[in-house]
Amino acid sequence: MPSAIPPPPPSLTTYLRSLEDTPLDKSITTLISLLKRRQIRSSRSCALATTKLLIAVVEAGSPDSSHNTWSSTSALITRIRQVGRKLISAQPKEIVIGNIVRRVLGVIREVADRDSETGNAADLSGSEISGPTSPVTGERSVLPMRLSEFSSRDVLSGRPGTADSIASSTFSAPMAGPPTQQQRPNLMNAPTGTSLFSILQHPQQNPSRSTSSPYATPPAGTQSPALRPSPTSKSTISNAEAGGESLDIKAEVLDGLAELLDELSVVDSQIAESALEHIHSGEVILTHGSSRTVQRFLLTAAGKKRKFTVFVAESYPNDHSATHDTLVNGAQPPVSPDDEGLGGEKGRWRGLTAAGVTVVLVPDMAVFALMPRVNKVLLSPHAVMANGSLLAAAGTEGICLAAKEHRVPVVVLAGVYKLSPVYPFDEEGMVEYGDPSKVVGFAEDGRFVDGVDIVNPLSDFVGAEGVGLYVTNLGGCAPSYLYRVVGDHYRGEDVDLGVEEAGSRV
Amino acid sequence: MAPKASKGGKAAKQNEGPTEAEEPLQAVVFTDSHEGRFIPFTYSQPRCRLKLANTPLIEYTLEWLASVGVQEVFVHTAGNHSEQVEAYLEQSRWQDTFDSLRTITSAATSIGDAMRDLDEKGLMKGDFISVYGDLVANIDISAALSSHKTRRLKNKDAIMTMILREAGDYHRTKDQHNRQCFVIDSDTSRCIHYEQVRPRKSPRLDIPAEVMKDHVDIDMREDLIDCGIDICTPDSLAQWSDSFDWKRPRKDFVHGVLQDYETFGRTIHTHIVKEGYAARVNSLRAYDAVSKDVVSRWTYPYSPDMNMLADQTYQLAKGNVYREDRVTLARSSSIGRRTVLGEGSSVGEGSVIINSVIGRRCVIGKRVRVENAYIWDDAHIGDDTVVETAIVANEVSIGKKCHVKRGALISQGVKVADGVVVEENMRLAKIERDDDDEVVQGVTDPKIVGEGGEGFLIELNEEEEEVYEALLAGVQDMDLVEDDDDDSDFDSDDEDGAEYEHEMVPAARSGSFASVASNESEEGAELKRKKADFVRTATDSVLDGMTKKQNEDNIQLELQSHRLAENAEDSWIREAVATAFSRYIVALTENEEEPQKPKVAAEAAIMTNQRLITACVKEAGEQAEFLLFLQIDLLHRQQGGEVLLHAAYVLAIEDFVDSVGLQEWWDDSRSSRTQELQDLRDKAEGVVTSMVAAAAAESSEDEESGEDEDDEDEDDE
Repeated sequence: MPSAIPPPPPSLTTYLRSLEDTPLDKSITTLISLLKRRQIRSSRSCALATTKLLIAVVEAGSPDSSHNTWSSTSALITRIRQVGRKLISAQPKEIVIGNIVRRVLGVIREVADRDSETGNAADLSGSEISGPTSPVTGERSVLPMRLSEFSSRDVLSGRPGTADSIASSTFSAPMAGPPTQQQRPNLMNAPTGTSLFSILQHPQQNPSRSTSSPYATPPAGTQSPALRPSPTSKSTISNAEAGGESLDIKAEVLDGLAELLDELSVVDSQIAESALEHIHSGEVILTHGSSRTVQRFLLTAAGKKRKFTVFVAESYPNDHSATHDTLVNGAQPPVSPDDEGLGGEKGRWRGLTAAGVTVVLVPDMAVFALMPRVNKVLLSPHAVMANGSLLAAAGTEGICLAAKEHRVPVVVLAGVYKLSPVYPFDEEGMVEYGDPSKVVGFAEDGRFVDGVDIVNPLSDFVGAEGVGLYVTNLGGCAPSYLYRVVGDHYRGEDVDLGVEEAGSRV
Repeated sequence: MAPKASKGGKAAKQNEGPTEAEEPLQAVVFTDSHEGRFIPFTYSQPRCRLKLANTPLIEYTLEWLASVGVQEVFVHTAGNHSEQVEAYLEQSRWQDTFDSLRTITSAATSIGDAMRDLDEKGLMKGDFISVYGDLVANIDISAALSSHKTRRLKNKDAIMTMILREAGDYHRTKDQHNRQCFVIDSDTSRCIHYEQVRPRKSPRLDIPAEVMKDHVDIDMREDLIDCGIDICTPDSLAQWSDSFDWKRPRKDFVHGVLQDYETFGRTIHTHIVKEGYAARVNSLRAYDAVSKDVVSRWTYPYSPDMNMLADQTYQLAKGNVYREDRVTLARSSSIGRRTVLGEGSSVGEGSVIINSVIGRRCVIGKRVRVENAYIWDDAHIGDDTVVETAIVANEVSIGKKCHVKRGALISQGVKVADGVVVEENMRLAKIERDDDDEVVQGVTDPKIVGEGGEGFLIELNEEEEEVYEALLAGVQDMDLVEDDDDDSDFDSDDEDGAEYEHEMVPAARSGSFASVASNESEEGAELKRKKADFVRTATDSVLDGMTKKQNEDNIQLELQSHRLAENAEDSWIREAVATAFSRYIVALTENEEEPQKPKVAAEAAIMTNQRLITACVKEAGEQAEFLLFLQIDLLHRQQGGEVLLHAAYVLAIEDFVDSVGLQEWWDDSRSSRTQELQDLRDKAEGVVTSMVAAAAAESSEDEESGEDEDDEDEDDE
């Protein structure tokens, strides 16, 4: 007898489920077609799928070797870049894919660096982040301030971004070669930028962080509330036991990627930790659409007995039904990377109204009229560019313009994984255009449809000047400071992956 | 009827067996229909490989299937281009995408045959989706699938769900000729009646009374795009197998199943989709409309910038302009809205391109104007040329200062010399299919393509003309008499020579035959069409029986069941039988191995199958009509006169016709309407005169009216 439930159409859930028992090559092509068909969309889903796939790539080992291992980090880097290029060109407008690929490459390079360090320094310190410099050799450290790396394209094209000019002089050309060959200047010895910016920014630094930059993502052990036994320390110990031999590349990289996954699963709650600093009793907040990050943020504030009012612009015509659904039934928790993720939250989150918040649903066009009464605008973008501009659901730009007009602060909630090192040269080209039938029904008036062009942009590009503050999972920072965070998370040699991304075309 | 019921029952029983809990979702893609509508492009390429917005049609279909979660795909091909389809799929990415992708090549000439073939092969494990290889869709059918499955759990007789897209009264993507009317029970979404409304006919539906009695809420809808997406069940395949003569999924299958509802209780359901896009590219007009939809992103995400094929690099710019890498545009050229430019193409100084699709590696000269045109890969267009709404195929070269006017179709490899004007709706080609259906190089006609050009003008024969829909929407008012069910036939050009003719003749003839068929009235068109259909299929079945030397009783039985199914008139039967006889005799005389003399052939044919004649020919008027049909079919055949003479002789000698009948035929004005008919008839004059004379001498005997089996039917009239 045929079962009553037909096989579900492909989606992120089915993809993640199938990842285990599908050959790698097929997994790659499947993800590519899912991305092309827009069956995996939204930053979080893309990030999750990309991370999972790249983990599978690392696990599968080098295509040349029969032992599922990697002979060298450079082979691994080449492979990840190759897979990454395919994924990025499948959907160049999902900036997050490129971010994740670069983050993964960063993890590998870090392992490579440590590998070469272990050759020199016999004793490896217990902590993964080994402090500013490696004292013996003076070679480059693990997580230095990589001002130079914030955007190679930017520097190459000679356009001044928010970058300082020292960066261009120390810039090293992006290259895929083994990191050991690179003669990189130790930027820690050029602290000019650091001190300058620390003066301007003075963020609330977490004292437990040993890293020199307040915005580098700390190791999972210190950051993740959903604790897993810290894999880093374990592997380090095992490595130490192995004696001075080279690190087990695969295990090390996988540990790093597990941290990345962790980051993806806890990013919302981390952002929400700073909710109380931004939402105060009696405030009127305006938000757009049904972002889970924003919902979580608001819920956290409401949970701390703050009474406030939220205006929600419904984001017609592309996301209004999701918005309505979220407001009535509460947000759907995101697809978690693993089943126990997010502390076992099953079912939907509580609706905002259930949490005691006054919620008013408004059409997008009413935003300008309401703006004088709004204290703060909360947004969640698709992607954030190194220069502080962002891509978000269509309608965001209007809100930002209205907010600017009325001098209302715009606070953008974005996980670090949404930060891209790519400089947006072609702002027009970054916008995804959707199905015009959402605007004018295909069936409504055939003659009309025949005679006009209807466009339905799915996203808006908002310049850095439209944003007041970014709140990432590492804390808040100004748009002009974002390049620092970007520099802490991406390696300069990975910025150019040799593939055209949306907006990267000059 | 009896075998039908028992067979159906068996199939149902088989299906009760346990099946796996998680069946893979299967789909069948029919690729080989309507090649004729895309002549001359389909001479060298299968239709599903023609490019729509620079991506082969079949890619859209398969992409959609993959997107709804189909795991196993069977691509059904028949006809000329099977190998090409197979080769294409074999090296495509789809081999890895689907769990299994199989090409089934068969000699099927209709969807019905293909369905029966599938049933025979037993490939379908459970419910499956059936689509055509020209579908462009982005609709979500998971709701349809699950409601289909729940329905099936409750009632096993719900054998099919049709997925229909709601569209308004007028829509560029909607077929304007073929207005289909679905009568749907709005509670259960069951389709309770289906009819096709002829264009420009008052939409009068013939809804059975029981339907009105049984259902309270009825929707009658004519605003639906039927894009041929069906969720079928193994039971529906069994239905196809039970009815050997069904050809078309809508007109025969849906209609037939609905008619037999009282007997078997099988139901067909509909699922009406209100969102998303679905359309078939089944005519040039549809090609134009769907191309526009793809470029304007109605089919999102299946628009060029999705880069469906791995090597595509389209990027979207403002105004729905899609450009691939390495496109060279002269500084002074202007690229208007809704334009697609393929890789490696170049556009010269001062050229204007609007609303057009340009393939890869095309070279467009200076000061060229291309508007609403579709230019495929590797085409060259010379300086100062104007191309209006037209299709310019692969590797076409158009000279300088030419003018390609609206509706022109320029097929693969044609060269148009400088300064030539290609008139409206002209079809130019370099190759053609000869009578043996082989692709041959045509003879260049310098009058058409100019000195130094290559190619000639294609004239379509009557049949093709009717099926052919021009690229331009302007001709949509033309009345298509013959082409009824869109999803109907595979093209006749996949038949061999003899079969070809045999497919063509009845259709082409039906026009001239109008005066012969009795009782033609204003409503005759519908009837005429029905009749032509019936006669064609009945003739085929009788002829088939005779050729295979089947028992005449069996042939008769088959004919009879056919007749009951179609509610055919007696004269139709006579026409079918007469036509079959004439063909059979001619076939005997033209048999390559041992050609028989017309006399022997006529005798052999008639004597072995005499009951077929006696069953439908009794009275003098009927005899005359039978002879008339015989005569008309023998027209233009080799030895037609001889055959007619001997057939008439045998018929007269064996008392199938008497002198009165002969005389009546002779006197009938229709038998001598044209000179050709007259000439043909003259051959048989001897028989008639001698028989009539003999009859006059002795009083004629009472008529023997053959077997009884047909009597009750006669009473019906």
